[in-house]
Amino acid sequence: MKKLSILFLFIGFAVTAQNKVPSTYLETLDGDRTNIQSLTNTDHVTVLSFWATWCMPCLKELDTISEVYSTWQEETGVEVIAISTDDPRTQKRVKPLVNGKSWDYTVLLDTNQDLKRSFNITSIPHTIVVKNNKVIYRHSGYVPGAENELYEIIKENSN
Amino acid sequence: MEPQLPMKNYILLAFLFSGTFLFAQDYGNLSGGFESDFKWYNNDSKTGEFIDTNFPGTDEHVRSNNYLKLDYTYKKWSAGIQLESYLPKPLVGFLPKYDDSGLSTFYLEYQSKKLKITGGYFYEQFGSGLILRSWEDRQLGINNALMGGRIVYRPTNDIKLTGLFGKQKEAFELSEGQIFGVDTEIDLSDIFKVENYSLGLGLSYVGRYEETDIENPNFEELTNAFSGRLDFSKNSFYASAEYVAKTEDAIVETHTINNDLVKPGNALLLNFGYADQGLGVNATLRRMENMSFFSDRKAQGNLFNQNIVNFIPALTKQHDYLLTNIYVYQAQPSVVLNAANNLAKAGEIGGQFDMYYNFKEGSTLGGKYGTKLAMNAAYWANLSGEYDLLNHDYEVDYFGFGQKYFSDISLEVRKKLSEDWSTIFTYVNQYYNKKYIEERSGIIETNIAVAEATYILNEKQSIRLVGQHLWTEDDHKNWGGGTLEFNASHKLSFYVSDIYNYGNEIKEERIHYYNIGGSFTKGANRFSLNYGRQRGGVVCVGGVCRYVPESTGLSASISISF
Repeated sequence: MKKLSILFLFIGFAVTAQNKVPSTYLETLDGDRTNIQSLTNTDHVTVLSFWATWCMPCLKELDTISEVYSTWQEETGVEVIAISTDDPRTQKRVKPLVNGKSWDYTVLLDTNQDLKRSFNITSIPHTIVVKNNKVIYRHSGYVPGAENELYEIIKENSN
Repeated sequence: MEPQLPMKNYILLAFLFSGTFLFAQDYGNLSGGFESDFKWYNNDSKTGEFIDTNFPGTDEHVRSNNYLKLDYTYKKWSAGIQLESYLPKPLVGFLPKYDDSGLSTFYLEYQSKKLKITGGYFYEQFGSGLILRSWEDRQLGINNALMGGRIVYRPTNDIKLTGLFGKQKEAFELSEGQIFGVDTEIDLSDIFKVENYSLGLGLSYVGRYEETDIENPNFEELTNAFSGRLDFSKNSFYASAEYVAKTEDAIVETHTINNDLVKPGNALLLNFGYADQGLGVNATLRRMENMSFFSDRKAQGNLFNQNIVNFIPALTKQHDYLLTNIYVYQAQPSVVLNAANNLAKAGEIGGQFDMYYNFKEGSTLGGKYGTKLAMNAAYWANLSGEYDLLNHDYEVDYFGFGQKYFSDISLEVRKKLSEDWSTIFTYVNQYYNKKYIEERSGIIETNIAVAEATYILNEKQSIRLVGQHLWTEDDHKNWGGGTLEFNASHKLSFYVSDIYNYGNEIKEERIHYYNIGGSFTKGANRFSLNYGRQRGGVVCVGGVCRYVPESTGLSASISISF
């Protein structure tokens, strides 16, 4: 029990810390490897959306954003990166699904969930808003309409 | 099993780690996560008293699994720990060895542009995992992290070399067997400066060394596995191939090493796809023969997914609804020669096909908002060949389909009707050979239809309604079910659901599996509460399944990430 209370103390300390995007290599749909930091270390806002081909709310969220994505980009310059956490069972489905849905996002594969683990994500969908490599907002889950709240945060942080 | 550090040392270690965290907080980056799953099991007048067969004689109805993970990064260095606590006992259906609290994993890592060195517990995957994968899945009770060391070296952008050594984590202990691995990934198209296509090559070796108590073994203590793989893509077309060969090793059945049946194993995985704006097609084929691979031989076939060296998921569609997830295929890599049940199998052969299509907005079938179509078909069977149950031996053909295990055909149509209404229609046809998949008896054929509608009330509120029906003359007979979900705001949701096998002739065996619950989300933190009756069966995540006994009760879970 003493252990537990000490642990809670640490959570308290840690919550105040501002997080950075960890240096992690992800695979592109063409089989190349890219360090996520090279994409998030920019002046404009980047949205990291963790999803999987089998995750219903994830598909709903990304389908919904897809409808307004071009407007979002024109108004704020935001970049949405859809990070697939699919394991080898469903990974081969990512590319046809992304094309079948005509999504316009940068799609990366978190092959053995290294980035998901670094961010301590326990369930998807999970959305992380980043600017200059720093995490400014996180949200877990998706319900219809939540994309508007996300867009408010993107706008607030865009120049 | 490995001798363990006394608990006191673990606490001390945790203190040391945390001391570093506090001291260095201003200079580095601290992140972490906390997750707690709590369950209060009740006696149920319909389905019976609460019993936990893993802990006979105990009467602890309240259980919880708790995880705390902390990671600290300072320049090129990072370190982390994970503490786990199963209080007073693990949730029902988890490995009984989890019944403890303490330090679960720790690591120290150095990472520069070209070099990554890890000591302690780490997760790794070679290729598609068919030869090696270590990962964590808390819902399944899987954490087969390797405890040892790993070096990853990238001399150029096109080459990645990995070398590792370790024992596998098994709850708070380690496996008996040792794992060695080497992996090479080379981007050939970059090296040869080819512009119009991409070609990648992968070569791996994995060794498992385990001494056994068998006298005069007819097999080596070191089992070797080799794999080669190619990934090709050109414009919209892509293809990949992977072959794994495992050297001769004793077959293990019902946790017993059979010194008289020593066989090699192999696996072939092929994938082809075409993806262009609006259309995606993918086909996967796999043949496996005697491919189960465990860090401890006798762990073969264990119900708790422990000591898994290679990842063998079921290559079928992962369905979304309660009734489409009753008869779930599980991959069949193992050899089973069971004369008593007249059951013989040595692996599996089959494949699946996927198609995604988008009817554009404004087209006849697309309508105002477009229509999205997804189709999947999967077929799996035993390897054909000679199975000699009397002499306990087998000889299989390379390409030949034996007894059918499973098939699944599904069609899904997503259609947005107006600004406020969107719908999803799903139809599934399944064939499930319970004798060959679960080593029980019976064949089940089903047809399932699901209709889902979401109605948006306003900016923040929406309602989701699901109706589903399963038709079958087998097993528990016809099922009906429904779900109603109300999203009260972006943070707060409630739901109620029920499935009922009303078609069963035996009235006493008709059971309502009802659930009611809600969840609250704030940022990356989530709290959920649920009361209801869970159907016994397999819970599958990513094609790996865990058996969960039937239960009734209250469950709560918290997850915090920072």
